[in-house]
Amino acid sequence: MQFIAVCVGLFWSTTGHSLRAQQAISFNRDIRPILSNHCFACHGPDAAARKGGLRLDQRDSATQASESGLLAIAPGQIGSSQLITRIHSVDPDLVMPPPETSRALSDAQKSLLERWIAEGAQYQPHWSLVPPQAATVPIVADDRWSRTEIDRFVLAGLRSQQLSPAAPAAPSILLRRLSLDLIGLPPTPAEADAFSRELQEAAKQGAAAEDAVVKRWIDHLFKSPHYGERMAVDWLDAARYADTNGYQVDRDRELWAWRDWVIAAFNRNQPFDQFTIEQLAGDLLPNPTQAQLIATGFHRNHMLNEEGGVIPEEFLAEYCADRVETTAAIWLGQTLTCARCHDHKYDAFTQQDYYGLYAFFHNVNEQGIGNYGAPIRRNAPPFLPLPTPEQTSRRKELEHQLVQLTQKLQAVAVRLQAEQLQWEQQQVASADSLAKLPGDVAAILLKPAADRSPADKQRIVDHQQATDMERKTLVDSEASIKKSLTELEQQTMTTLIMEELPQPRETAILIRGQYAKRGAVVTANTPASLPAMATDLPKNRLGLARWLVSPEHPLTSRVIVNILWQQLFGHGLVRTSEDFGVQGEAPDHPELLDWLAVEFVRSGWDVQHMLRLMASSAVYRQSSVVSDQLQQRDPENRQLARGPRFRLQSEFLRDQALAASGLLVRKIGGPPVKPYHPPGLYEQVTAGSGTNSYVEGKGEDLYRRSIYTYWKRSVPHPAMLLFDSPFREACTLRRSRTNTPLQALNLLNDPTWVEAARLLAGRMLSEAGPDAASQLRHGFRLVLIREPEARELTLLQAGYERVLQEFRAEPAQADELLKVGATRSVESLPVAELAAMTVSAGTLLNLHETVTRE
Amino acid sequence: MAERGCYDRTMALQTAVARRQFLGRQMTGPGVLALAGLLTDTASAGARENSAVNVASATGLPGLPHLIARAKRVIWLTQAGAPSQLDLFDYKPQLRERFNTDLPNSVRGEQRLTGMTAGQQRFPVCPSVFRFGQHGAGGMWLSELLPHTAKIADQICLIRTLHTEAINHDPAMTLLQTGHQLAGRPSLGAWLSYGLGSENANLPAFVVMISRPSGPTNAQPLHERMWGSGFLSPRYQGVRFSPGKDPVLYLSDPPGIIRQRRRGMLDDVAALNRLHGEADADPEIAARLEQYEMAFRMQRSVPELTDLSSESAAVFQAYGPESQKPGSFAANCILARRLVERGVRFVQLYHRGWDQHGSLPSGIRSQCYDTDQPSAALVRDLQQRGLLDETLVIWGGEFGRTVYSQGTLTATDYGRDHHPRCYSIWLAGGGIRGGTVWGETDDFSWNVVRDPVHVHDLNATVLQLLGIQHTALTYRFQGRDYRLTDVHGTMVQGVLA
Repeated sequence: MQFIAVCVGLFWSTTGHSLRAQQAISFNRDIRPILSNHCFACHGPDAAARKGGLRLDQRDSATQASESGLLAIAPGQIGSSQLITRIHSVDPDLVMPPPETSRALSDAQKSLLERWIAEGAQYQPHWSLVPPQAATVPIVADDRWSRTEIDRFVLAGLRSQQLSPAAPAAPSILLRRLSLDLIGLPPTPAEADAFSRELQEAAKQGAAAEDAVVKRWIDHLFKSPHYGERMAVDWLDAARYADTNGYQVDRDRELWAWRDWVIAAFNRNQPFDQFTIEQLAGDLLPNPTQAQLIATGFHRNHMLNEEGGVIPEEFLAEYCADRVETTAAIWLGQTLTCARCHDHKYDAFTQQDYYGLYAFFHNVNEQGIGNYGAPIRRNAPPFLPLPTPEQTSRRKELEHQLVQLTQKLQAVAVRLQAEQLQWEQQQVASADSLAKLPGDVAAILLKPAADRSPADKQRIVDHQQATDMERKTLVDSEASIKKSLTELEQQTMTTLIMEELPQPRETAILIRGQYAKRGAVVTANTPASLPAMATDLPKNRLGLARWLVSPEHPLTSRVIVNILWQQLFGHGLVRTSEDFGVQGEAPDHPELLDWLAVEFVRSGWDVQHMLRLMASSAVYRQSSVVSDQLQQRDPENRQLARGPRFRLQSEFLRDQALAASGLLVRKIGGPPVKPYHPPGLYEQVTAGSGTNSYVEGKGEDLYRRSIYTYWKRSVPHPAMLLFDSPFREACTLRRSRTNTPLQALNLLNDPTWVEAARLLAGRMLSEAGPDAASQLRHGFRLVLIREPEARELTLLQAGYERVLQEFRAEPAQADELLKVGATRSVESLPVAELAAMTVSAGTLLNLHETVTRE
Repeated sequence: MAERGCYDRTMALQTAVARRQFLGRQMTGPGVLALAGLLTDTASAGARENSAVNVASATGLPGLPHLIARAKRVIWLTQAGAPSQLDLFDYKPQLRERFNTDLPNSVRGEQRLTGMTAGQQRFPVCPSVFRFGQHGAGGMWLSELLPHTAKIADQICLIRTLHTEAINHDPAMTLLQTGHQLAGRPSLGAWLSYGLGSENANLPAFVVMISRPSGPTNAQPLHERMWGSGFLSPRYQGVRFSPGKDPVLYLSDPPGIIRQRRRGMLDDVAALNRLHGEADADPEIAARLEQYEMAFRMQRSVPELTDLSSESAAVFQAYGPESQKPGSFAANCILARRLVERGVRFVQLYHRGWDQHGSLPSGIRSQCYDTDQPSAALVRDLQQRGLLDETLVIWGGEFGRTVYSQGTLTATDYGRDHHPRCYSIWLAGGGIRGGTVWGETDDFSWNVVRDPVHVHDLNATVLQLLGIQHTALTYRFQGRDYRLTDVHGTMVQGVLA
């Protein structure tokens, strides 16, 4: 066992995390993880759970004598430190951590604690709470590789590990990588050829010219409207966007205008601080625009319970908690959930901090329950109507008509009053006319005026009015216009927004997080362990948003550049992107992370600037091919001695296939669409009626980008789930990347993919030369962009010929295959060839390289 | 050290191992030993994840089971919507005398009511219209609605004091399945498939089936996340089997692709992937090859499994008249038996339609018609095949129903609202003491009088029966070690054989 432990040390010494025996002890790197993991649950920030009055997360309290006069930590004196005595104790009643916690310390950990105390037990604040400082960019001797500051940080690390960077990726592979990362779609082979040519030309003039080419292409991708779509996908995960309310009833909601706002905001490269402020508090800006109101839909993305028996107060508390936790995860990289019920056990957040944040979100003019009784497609207030221009002018017209009618009715009322005596006389003038009246009216009219009661008089007026033809026509018109207005209102799209209550709700700490158990009253405030809000900031959502993006904030810039890094490199520099707390991972390249964070703020929170910097770096441009040796030394690529490689996420997998086959409809925005779906799925899982039946879309709805696919929380699109999309019930900042047999079944058998293969085959047959080899080469390039190797082409061709013979022998099977999907193939194409090429195209779409972005 | 970021690291390691197994390369160098060290490091959640999937799929996590397992597999017959304990299991003869009297405030206490009855003027006590009788050697009281369950009274342990906090379906079902009312945590099946792995390389470890009630009842909507894996890798989530052409999503080849053609295409894909992987040590390449092969095998093993034509007439007779209808609870019970026969770890059947806020007597009759005979037949069938000893069968829902009537109470008709403070479920099979009744409720089946069992206690007990210490099966997520029973859960010793 000991032998293995030594080898583990050897192995991980390449990862940069290892404890180097000769190095000085670092509290953050070496000691805090031990204390946090093994001690803080009982001797940490949570006062209520603290045992024996001992607190180890702060030096002052840890080195203070206890009531019994003993010292947990006596700096420099191991012998006097109870902590050391207790961790070595063999008495099960005394040893720490207690055996029942299953948190025993290893010998290595014990000796680290000894060394640390012997060396004076120095503490450090947790790294992520110290504002980032622009680290000096390392200067590496003989550096002909670095293109950006990023590279110099990485190269210094590689050198220290006796590693070298990989060769640059081939241009076609690099462009595919850039394109998939930045717009979520593959480039065309022609674009790859142009890129390759330009790079070759530039190479003659030197590395700077090559950089210029790469940056120009990056900027070209930034200008694509698809850039915003790609960026929005990850933001939608973070914001828990969906097209239904969630929980059991899970009816539709309308919030896609917010989704489109996100796409547009990325497309105009809105600075991230503004992006933050408008989403968290657009409604509190002076004279907010419609777009700024739509942006506040961000914090209406949480689920909404419409179940019959819910208690509104309980779910109001849920929604506020969701907003607190989502905000903390995205901007602070902190998991605050623990502090909902008690002080955090690891991080320096108290329950008071939690409800201080909660108070910012507690004033929304909302009801706590859904709008179950209302017609389908009615959002729960507050919401903003989004009429089309036609609907607006129609409404104006109807309202104008209504005003005119009202005036006319008033005129009629005046006339009728004037005519009343005359009218009465006419009614009683003859027996005939009297007989036409209702009996009671006739009786009243025959009474002398003085004998009529007020009710009698009203009855006569009513009857006079009811029988007046002009008035009747006007009243009918009025009713019909009002009906039209109601219909118009119901047809008008809306979007959920934030809106403050005129009188704020009082916020109290909820004891153990229970909605009905109110403790001390708190007011809106930011956590005490973070820099305080500037005094001129209002204590509302707007102040909170401005505080989050204040330049001195230690977390926001780091957390966001880390997410951008994750987008391009597959993992963040802090791999636990949602947790920058003491139980999260430490950054792989802390100086680089800080440098990027400072640069982000310096650039004016310019997202494209940061992406350009990262994507034009030599680190990013490396080949992702890995040698056996490197794979063993650094299996997770923490040192970045090769380019990043990962499986495409669900949306871009499908979008890529639609693009390669030519099926993709490139329309931006609008209501969600319903592409192919396994029949009967909703009927099985949901109640299976009303909004719970899936009605497949038609025409272009089948081929829109996947970001527009209708997202039902209880039954998200199954192909998306198979490829690790979240349920969108809570904020998600990174997805899993599994590799399962169910994914293979999807890519092989889903009509989406079979149809894409068929259309791709059509392109192969009709766009390339007459021979199978050039057709297969064309298909290969449409999917993988690069040129196939001769051996690859030979394999593909052998497969094609084999299947072609089969289909020639079984033409009925070819016919069947060609019927999959709603589009029809070009009729002039020969059936057996098209069917065989469909199988070849399917082969291409199922390659590992295809589902991976290399 | 090994705890930090172990997820990603071990994902890479796991695929590295798979690749080496697949490509048959020799493993040399310090990495091998490091790997061996990691895989035996039980402190590392990620390492455990690693070994559960590709390295040791037959045995699950290292160190598991912690204890001697009394059961190897579970069939959870989930009755969604909340069956009325008062009309099925919790016999309260005294209530007849209190018909239509007000439920005493002293009994009702502080219990919050749902928005559906909180505004009711009265809470009239509503005895069951159904007769109860004593069954089995121990004289277990059961309703006349359960004649078949009555015949297995000696096999089942009836818990009458299960309780929960949630009063609405979604939070309650989520709590029952995942140990927490809010979405986002792994379900019991996912925990088991993570912890114990699979015993069949061609089938998922966790299978879910949802049946349709035969009567015109209001089927409770469910939610894919109820059998989800929460923060565990999605590979542990339940795989839903459905009746019809594709028992598993996208299982069938498209028209025109016969088996031999699919085989040829997969061979081409594999050959091209191998070519691509020649100069590339990326372990994901081999891992993907293996997943495609498993997909191909599943295309054979799943239809074979779901095809009931080889079952004898006697089996269909035992499971009742609905059992020949695909998608019925009865047919799914037969499938559940076939799944555990093949070593599937966790089978979860959902039967919906128990939410009888009104017209309870007719609604519950129809539900019992669907479930009583097949549930009992399943227990007997397992017993006859020698599988009951190692299979745990659980029958029940997410909460109980109120003793007072929701809406109008007549001599023959009533409804009942949601009731979380006590309800009944039964267990049978591996490790369970058959013929026993656990716990006692008050005269109104409103409060627990003796031996309460919280949902967490039930889950702790289920884990223990499978040889798992519920406090020791944990997974680190967002810096915290999570477990199915959260920070709660006590074993219910009294139900164990």
